[in-house]
Amino acid sequence: MSGLLRARRGAVVVFGLAALTPLVVRDAYFLDSLVLILLWGALSAAWNVAGGYAGQVSIGHASFFGIGAYSAALMVTRFGRGPWLGLLVGVVLSIGAGLIIGVLSNRLKGPYFALSTIAFSQVLLIGVSRWRGFTAGAEGIPVPFRSGFATLGLGHTGWVYMALSVALVCYAVEVYLERSRVGYQLAGVREDEDAAEALGIHTRKLKVGAVALSAALTSICGSLWAQYVGFVDPTYVFSVDLSVRFALNAIIGGMGTALGPFLGSILITSLETYLRATFSNWDARFAGIYLVIYGTALILVVRFVPEGLAGIAARIRMRKAHA
Amino acid sequence: MDPARRLGPAQIDVLAQLAVATVLLGGIYALISVGLTLIFGIMRVVNFAHGEFLMLGMYLAFWAFVVFTADPYFVVFVAIPLFFVVGLVVYGLVMRGVIHASHNVQIFTTVGLSTVLQNVALVAWSGDFRFVRPWHLSTVLRAGSTIFNLTQVVASLIAVALTLALVAFMKWTHAGRVMRATAQDREAATLMGIDTDRVYRLTFAIGIAAVGAAGVLVAPLYSVYPTAGLQFVLLSYVVVVLGGLGDMLGAMIGSLIVAAVEVAGSYFFGVAWKEIFYFILFILVLVFRPAGLFGQRGAETLGV
Repeated sequence: MSGLLRARRGAVVVFGLAALTPLVVRDAYFLDSLVLILLWGALSAAWNVAGGYAGQVSIGHASFFGIGAYSAALMVTRFGRGPWLGLLVGVVLSIGAGLIIGVLSNRLKGPYFALSTIAFSQVLLIGVSRWRGFTAGAEGIPVPFRSGFATLGLGHTGWVYMALSVALVCYAVEVYLERSRVGYQLAGVREDEDAAEALGIHTRKLKVGAVALSAALTSICGSLWAQYVGFVDPTYVFSVDLSVRFALNAIIGGMGTALGPFLGSILITSLETYLRATFSNWDARFAGIYLVIYGTALILVVRFVPEGLAGIAARIRMRKAHA
Repeated sequence: MDPARRLGPAQIDVLAQLAVATVLLGGIYALISVGLTLIFGIMRVVNFAHGEFLMLGMYLAFWAFVVFTADPYFVVFVAIPLFFVVGLVVYGLVMRGVIHASHNVQIFTTVGLSTVLQNVALVAWSGDFRFVRPWHLSTVLRAGSTIFNLTQVVASLIAVALTLALVAFMKWTHAGRVMRATAQDREAATLMGIDTDRVYRLTFAIGIAAVGAAGVLVAPLYSVYPTAGLQFVLLSYVVVVLGGLGDMLGAMIGSLIVAAVEVAGSYFFGVAWKEIFYFILFILVLVFRPAGLFGQRGAETLGV
């Protein structure tokens, strides 16, 4: 156990600090940023399960996020039940959707797969926007706040621990994929599918499974996000921008590394929070500036540091070990 | 209310109207898609920022109209060389470095480019919907039992002419042959003394010039805003996959199919649902004929 902790020093520091912060800091704005960092990190970690570990690069993960968000919001507003039940329904629906996309991924590679995932999220976007009677259409749904754990009406401190738990679940799944037999098989599929198949690995099953697992985790985060933010609308929750964002954190932090998505989220989310605060008293459109910055960051990172922050850290460690 | 019902059944033949509408729309979609399929066919890169160049073309038409009261159908001939240069610059700055990189790197490079262009437009010109309203938009043409707007007809004619010119260029000029040779076998082309970097640069610039021109042409027909490219780019993915990635004639046929689905879908189910039909078509094609309707089976699993 202590060996594991030592090997995962970075994670212990990141998650440990997150756990201790609410005990010391009471500033609502700061805690809000922390919740978002953890949630975005968890979402990118969930994306990483399919994109990084299984090599199924999706630009349509907003589909699952939106399914989770809408399930929770509709369960509360339309059926008068708790958001937890909605979260569960969201997971079931997302696994179903993930299986469909996973089956697609068996036939399609690279850009074809990415395109089909975008198309899938667009179908959901249009469907939810147009089905006014049930989903309230493009106007979106305000989710009422009811205090208590069962209704997910938590304070800032409560939300930090909620987000932290989800982040830890996603992180644990990633660690499992790095250390288990299934994880090694998945890496084999990602690196050379034909070779993996020749060794008797069920490549199809593994890929579908990874996408479905990734979908389920994304959906959980989506449900929580809906309750945290208190508002869902289709143009945001199913947007391509959102799907790109999940991928972006993971790429900047290091695709296929367990802590990478969280490092990416720390960097990108704080940058966003900072820029938003800086430009908020300007014209509203200056919110676009941070998107310009992160688009540029994406282009530069994939070109010059494709292994991300985690990769740089590993390189420095290697150099130290040699010196 | 659909135009057929408003004008009464005696004046308009619904089927003929739908058929001509399909052809007009298909012509425009062909020009939008042909650049995407060209860039894919030769460079093996799916340009996820394709729609953003279309959006820039729409803004060019808008500003030219507002500042110089220039008609979009003159501006289109300025747009072609202008976007050609834009294509050269973007190739040099962004695409050149990733042309031999993995799919993931290429996907996220063009996705990043798309985010940047969209938001540069947002910051520069705000998110307001803009409209280009030249005089010919209110001119109505009647042909037999069908009825059309002059803008739409001219846009479609120019689009088809440009698309055919591009097809002819690829087929009969030396540069076109060199480009096709590179598409077929990158290594063999290099061995034959073809400078593939120049070919890619030219390809990218031509592709961007085509979609930029298309942007100018469609500006009067749709509203202009920073994310306007998205609806068109998704549609051109459908067209390109239907026609087979890299196949220009396939793209033209694909455009007609998508246009037909859109026109018929809007007529029978209402405009609100039109996009959902071609996405369902898209997913069906990806599942059952991912190499396109006429493509070679198995091309998609090579990841080309």
